[in-house]
Amino acid sequence: MAVDVEPRGSTIGAPKRARPKSSVVWVLAMLGGVAVLTRAVDPSSLPWLRNLLIVFGSLLVEAMPFILIGATVSAAIEVLVPASAFARIATLPPRLQMPVAAAAGVAFPVCECGSVPVARRLATKGLSPGAAITFMLAAPIVNPVVVASTFVAYRGRDTLWTMVLGRLALGFVVAMTVGWVMGRLSSGELLRARAAQVEAHEVDIAEARWRRFFGHMTGDVVFMARFLIMGAALAAAIQTFVPQSIVDSVASLPVLSLIAMMVLAFVMSLCSESDAFVAASFTAFGPAAQLAFLVFGPMVDLKLAALYMGTYRRGFLRTAVVAVGATTLVATLWIQVIWG
Amino acid sequence: MSTHTGTRGDTRLRFSGPRVGAAVTLAAWAGLFWFLMISGRTSLYLSTRTSWLIPLGAVLASIAAIGRIASARVRDPEPLGIRETWMFGVIVLPVVLLLALPPVSLNSYAVNRRSNSTGIGSSARVVSGPIDLVDVAAARAVVDAQAALKARAGERVSIEGFVTEESGEADRFQLTRFVITCCVADATISYVTVVDAPPGTFETDQWVRVTGPIYPLGSDILVQAQSIEPIDAPAEPYLTP
Repeated sequence: MAVDVEPRGSTIGAPKRARPKSSVVWVLAMLGGVAVLTRAVDPSSLPWLRNLLIVFGSLLVEAMPFILIGATVSAAIEVLVPASAFARIATLPPRLQMPVAAAAGVAFPVCECGSVPVARRLATKGLSPGAAITFMLAAPIVNPVVVASTFVAYRGRDTLWTMVLGRLALGFVVAMTVGWVMGRLSSGELLRARAAQVEAHEVDIAEARWRRFFGHMTGDVVFMARFLIMGAALAAAIQTFVPQSIVDSVASLPVLSLIAMMVLAFVMSLCSESDAFVAASFTAFGPAAQLAFLVFGPMVDLKLAALYMGTYRRGFLRTAVVAVGATTLVATLWIQVIWG
Repeated sequence: MSTHTGTRGDTRLRFSGPRVGAAVTLAAWAGLFWFLMISGRTSLYLSTRTSWLIPLGAVLASIAAIGRIASARVRDPEPLGIRETWMFGVIVLPVVLLLALPPVSLNSYAVNRRSNSTGIGSSARVVSGPIDLVDVAAARAVVDAQAALKARAGERVSIEGFVTEESGEADRFQLTRFVITCCVADATISYVTVVDAPPGTFETDQWVRVTGPIYPLGSDILVQAQSIEPIDAPAEPYLTP
């Protein structure tokens, strides 16, 4: 009996358990304080705070449902799809895995936040890391919803098909190239080790399937949400404090217009289902610069950077920025030469 | 059974702190989504195109929270760690902020941090029906839409928006509205220049309805004010193309 009693703490356990309880009180106090302060300060009288909170809130209420969708799909894959299914795909030659993974993105109509947990799950289930990354980068661009939104945004313009087909093709090409660059890594080298104790209480392998499903689902949501919040806060701060004139002047540098548009896409952190409408508003830029915006942004932006840092090992973000950036730049330079 | 239980020790199920923490965190988000839906505040953050995300988020977060609390009792529960507690707090923080935030929308402060709406609307929309600021945005971007609006020059319009300043001119201001496609983060601006306004009567950020003939003059689109009526901020402050 002593074995059972001690961990739940009477004399030895009590002080250890008191600290988390006090931290719960502190967290509740912090949340209550923030609520009171927000009401007391009245953000409607402070324009910058009002702008900051609205943009921050809108990014989150739009992205969080996609995180929930992604986590649901991810948990369903974990619980319902046998590992042997992925083992079969994993036996395909890598050259074939990546196009298959990119094509699978067509059937996954969510934006970039939802594809990250699914890709992580695919990698842990045995799909080659290169294929998982290819899927993660391609899905937010090649899915039918994004293709349709790009079509609508450019409808009535001469560049309609250049933009729609160009984005689709570049989405495939850049995603597969980056997947190939990172293909040599094992999933252990790619994925960041989650805190062992966190994983342990999320899921117990001996539990019923439905309990495991919710363990994986909620674990993924909690895991992703904090990074999404960090990224949304950064993006909202930049949208609040950096005047559009500065952004425009940076983006209008003639030689560097492609890089400027990629930087802009990184900073603005738009959803891939809406970014075409913003890209279309940059009428001073040619189709190549707008394509750079539309291909780079859904693959690497501020909120994704935070998600990547939480999901993958150190160095992934740097490699992703360089690989996605270089491939997008080279591809769009060709388009700039051809179409201007 | 009793013998078996005795050898394995205490088999009673107890609540796991981290699982309860995750359930509470998800319940908080579910609560936010339900609140936005019931209070009609969805339109302060999302466009009509993406407003379906709120009920979806409410349902998914609710199911996740219920599922987690239903599976939160285990044989060997672990205590909730300090780091995890703060992590849950950080995830709940935006919920608290958005619940405490009064129902407000972007205003003139955001205008010079946004680009003009130029990639939205279509000429077909401008040809007939009431003219609004989405049509104005289309006319600035699409040649056909510009021609369609020119064909309607002098037509009496009634446009709602908020006042932004027109520097150096006492009898004119810009009537502005944000246009969003998915969420407020992608907001762009659309505006008309209101002329013949009574000087000093209207304040920046004040919502008004301007009625009068419209005149597209190149990239500038004017409305000659015949009446300017103060109105409350609309329930849907953003336009969706």
